[in-house]
Amino acid sequence: MSKKKIATIWLGGCSGCHMSLLDIDERILDVAKLADIVKCPIVDGKDLPEVDIVLVEGSVTSDEHLREILHIRKQAKALVALGDCAVTSNITGMRNYFDLKEVFDTAYVNAVSNDKEGSVPDHPELLKLRDKVVPLQEVVKVDFVIPGCPPDADTIFYVLFEFLNDRIPNLSEVKKLRYG
Amino acid sequence: MPKISVTIDDKKLDVDVGKTILEICKESGIEILTMCHLKGLTDVGACRLCLVEIEGINKLLSACTTKIAANMIIRTKTEKIKRYQRITSELFFAERNHVCSVCVANGKCDLQKLGYKTEMDHIRYPYLFPECNVDTSHPWYVLDHNRCIMCTRCVRACGEVEGAHNWNVMNRGYQVRVISDFDTPWGESVTCTSCGKCVHACPTGAIWPKAIVQGQLEKKPEIIAELIEKRKMNL
Ligand code: SF4
Ligand code: SF4
Ligand code: FES
Repeated sequence: MSKKKIATIWLGGCSGCHMSLLDIDERILDVAKLADIVKCPIVDGKDLPEVDIVLVEGSVTSDEHLREILHIRKQAKALVALGDCAVTSNITGMRNYFDLKEVFDTAYVNAVSNDKEGSVPDHPELLKLRDKVVPLQEVVKVDFVIPGCPPDADTIFYVLFEFLNDRIPNLSEVKKLRYG
Repeated sequence: MPKISVTIDDKKLDVDVGKTILEICKESGIEILTMCHLKGLTDVGACRLCLVEIEGINKLLSACTTKIAANMIIRTKTEKIKRYQRITSELFFAERNHVCSVCVANGKCDLQKLGYKTEMDHIRYPYLFPECNVDTSHPWYVLDHNRCIMCTRCVRACGEVEGAHNWNVMNRGYQVRVISDFDTPWGESVTCTSCGKCVHACPTGAIWPKAIVQGQLEKKPEIIAELIEKRKMNL
């Protein structure tokens, strides 16, 4: 059996899901036997090549994320939403109850630490925040979800290992479903 | 007490008359999902989770508000019921703002448990993201509308058991809200006795004591029924 190609992506999240992924510890060797990890947040910024499985952490918060997730969807056979932000928008979505301008002003202008000199950054190189943060399934078809903030390392490994062995994981069956 | 025969999930049972389908199922060890039901309080059929199919009736009925009748053939776990229960739990999550990771009830919440039981791994409906108030005006307790599912257990515990009737319900549809007195801050209530019954009756992280932090909420909803029993003993 030829090795599969997998990747992990970090969109609008805190990287906690990736920390949890690293917590699979030496089981990463079992993964490495079956797959090559062709992209992850610590490699350079090249676009995602074609892969069999991609784990995506975080929600879609900016124009850049949207472009990225649409590209990822084209490149990946199986797209897995990793963690509550990717599945429900979670904490990143808490700004959705407010107007985007209010959010910017709160962070850059009115924050106490800004000693009245803050202004909203608007350099053209910066990504543009979308009005509302959305979970992945609102913009692309998602093949599998792993909720949890962050999901357990055991759950992440279980899902990855099942996919690598051409089986469809079942979170409810093994009581691995968890939010928060 | 006179007995009647019914069939629940293909099991023939002789049961007492006058009870609800939910009571009979509980007594017979048949699990039914509930959210707005709390032992000791009047049932109102608000959450629509305890739905059952009854032969000859072409709609699903709530087990907590439907009295058992002779010869009923009841099913509690059909695919149709499971499908509706999953939709209902998804709508609870889509309707308000449930951010479990920062919630006092995380890991101990009846709404989370409901999600797991209905195998809800994600929500298929767009989130409403409503702007919800958090009332921190009471010296000891908080009411966070973001996490309220409108089960009205607090309203009934306060009115029926404490007799204070601080809580009530305002508006309709997605704008429906629990209110203190005439929609005034909880801390200014003239009826609230600060007894804490609503805190224990609430199945989610919507009402909680200020002294706790994320994931630390301990609730004892069973105290409502226990209290009612203890009062009878004193008579
Ligand atoms: S009330 Fe329950 S479901 Fe809602 S945010 Fe808190 S833990 Fe999550
Ligand atoms: S505050 Fe709690 S008990 Fe009251 S209606 Fe909302 S969820 Fe139910
Ligand atoms: S428990 Fe019966 S409708 Fe809520």
